[in-house]
Amino acid sequence: MNNTDKYDKVFIDSFSVDKAKLEKNLEYNSISQWDSVGHMSMVAALEEAFDIVLEMDDIIDFSSYKAGKEILKKYKVNIT
Amino acid sequence: MIDHVTKVQPGVLAEGYKNLTNNEWYFPIHFPNNPNVPGVLQLEALAQMLTVAITTLKGNKGKVTHALSHEVRFRKEVLPGQKLILKTKVESWKRGICKGFGQGIVDGEIACEATMTITIPEILEQYLPKK
Repeated sequence: MNNTDKYDKVFIDSFSVDKAKLEKNLEYNSISQWDSVGHMSMVAALEEAFDIVLEMDDIIDFSSYKAGKEILKKYKVNIT
Repeated sequence: MIDHVTKVQPGVLAEGYKNLTNNEWYFPIHFPNNPNVPGVLQLEALAQMLTVAITTLKGNKGKVTHALSHEVRFRKEVLPGQKLILKTKVESWKRGICKGFGQGIVDGEIACEATMTITIPEILEQYLPKK
């Protein structure tokens, strides 16, 4: 599984959404599942999937599917 | 729903008990001729004890906690005059969210057990995207 597949899987598993929804740039609080608790669960799942620890500012800035891709570049996780 | 806390390791565990006297306000109505401790209050006791394990961590004293989700299994009635021993463990504590497990024990037997998720909103909110 490449990084993009792993990244998508975290979103799909955390929020029970399909891939089509991700491609429309899913955003924080745009669905009921991506609430405060969902946000923390998703962050924890990403940290586990990529063996990283996100800094506080990055967790705050992680406001969408697309924004997350840019943020993870800082952690040497490249997602297409 | 806690009388005494007997053991605390901040961020790790909290234990204690609640003595169920005959004077508890709910016994006459829950239920007439068959008084027993409402399950929701057993769960509340476990959640409060788990909260103790978190609010005793440095910097968390006095902070407000909220329940996020609980899953509970009731195994035995808890009756007037019994002592409900409460044992909780923290499974994870990160960014304002605590996941934990608790058991309520009466006369050496498990009366209830729960997996619980609680939060300190003041901490959690610091990590949320601003929109």
